[in-house]
Amino acid sequence: MEFIKPNTLKELLEIISTITGEKYYFAGGTDINIQIKKDIIRNGKIIFINHIKELNGIKEDENYILIGSTTTFRQIIESKLLNDKLPFFQKSLNNFASPLIQSQATIGGNIANGSPTADVVPLLLVLDGKLELISNSMNRTINLKDFFTGYKKFILKPDEIIKSIFIPQNAENGFDTFYEKIGSRKALSIAKIAVAGLKKVVNNEINEIKIAVGSLNEYPRRLDLIEDYLLNKDLKDIDFKKIRIILKEEITPITDLRSDKDYRFEVCLNLIKKFLLKPDSG
Amino acid sequence: MKVNFNLNNKKVSIDVDPMKRLLDILREDFGLLGTKEGCGEGECGACTVLMDGKPVTSCLVNACHLEGKTILTVEAIAKEPIGKLLIDCFDETNAVQCGFCFPGFLVSSYYFLISDGEQNLDKIKEALSGNICRCTGYQKIFESVMLACKKKQLYSHRFSLIHPVR
Repeated sequence: MEFIKPNTLKELLEIISTITGEKYYFAGGTDINIQIKKDIIRNGKIIFINHIKELNGIKEDENYILIGSTTTFRQIIESKLLNDKLPFFQKSLNNFASPLIQSQATIGGNIANGSPTADVVPLLLVLDGKLELISNSMNRTINLKDFFTGYKKFILKPDEIIKSIFIPQNAENGFDTFYEKIGSRKALSIAKIAVAGLKKVVNNEINEIKIAVGSLNEYPRRLDLIEDYLLNKDLKDIDFKKIRIILKEEITPITDLRSDKDYRFEVCLNLIKKFLLKPDSG
Repeated sequence: MKVNFNLNNKKVSIDVDPMKRLLDILREDFGLLGTKEGCGEGECGACTVLMDGKPVTSCLVNACHLEGKTILTVEAIAKEPIGKLLIDCFDETNAVQCGFCFPGFLVSSYYFLISDGEQNLDKIKEALSGNICRCTGYQKIFESVMLACKKKQLYSHRFSLIHPVR
């Protein structure tokens, strides 16, 4: 294994535009360390990025809250700006992993690790998060929901990295929020099912609805078909039998060591029900 | 790779493999054996230390993370007034059985006392949720931290001169 430590972002981008073969970006290291220990990663290049200033920190501009990709979950949980602007996002991550892992693990790592269970992704999906991707030759911003293409697969080019995560300033404003993660225990558990949702209900009618799920597909995703069905519907007219049928098309839960597919399906449906019937608390 | 960092209030510098774990650096290069290896995967918290004042599992921190950082291990914390207070409280409530997990519990409890310190069971449970005890259970551990919070408030004048670790 070869270890590379670029000094600046510019140097990092130059290096990754030239190197070939397997490479691993190393920031918090909470997952890569384990993959090395378990011999899942044996060779390739380890590129250390944790110290690069341009990739870290939380700030805002007129339209967005910007979170650098190596920003740790502790920085997120303790951020005054997020407490002000995105309290639902911040509060939902309070139970992320454990207080010890929160100090090390990074938001970019949670996304780019590509796990279907990544805690932060369903939240960012309902908040219409965007990713700023950067390489030596270009800089582009994409919607997070277009980032994933399959299990641990992304549209990221070989010389591209995630620079920061953008969340619209008013992403939570006026929405009734919901986030629930089902795991075997509260701390340090990997989600069996996660559902995040935002809804705006006026006179009992759903004016806006966003639902995203984790651990139920090859990657976390928005439930577009269910959203279409629910939009402009009166809360009293929601037919949960219909939602069950649509959900069968939209999620593909699997049976693994953490849970089985029927359980995952039923619990997901129940969480959606809970979200929709939850009294509007703002 | 050469790294310079601050270990238990002393400037240190070592030449090590960039991927060497902080846990191994502490135990092998500095002979600080208080920090224990439990699971080695960040789940059990036996290897907890403070890095720049925040609790981390040292089995998931590598030499390359250390440049310019401040590390405080259980050895230094046990000598701090709040650390001593916690040890007394653990004693008083008989919270320790085999003791293997305790360096980690001490560091996490210490962080809770200096960063918050409210005598609130839910908060304490959350603060210690990254540490696992396999002997006896958590009730007495929670009780001792509750007691330490109470004593810290009662004798706050004694602790007023302590500056929290950076």
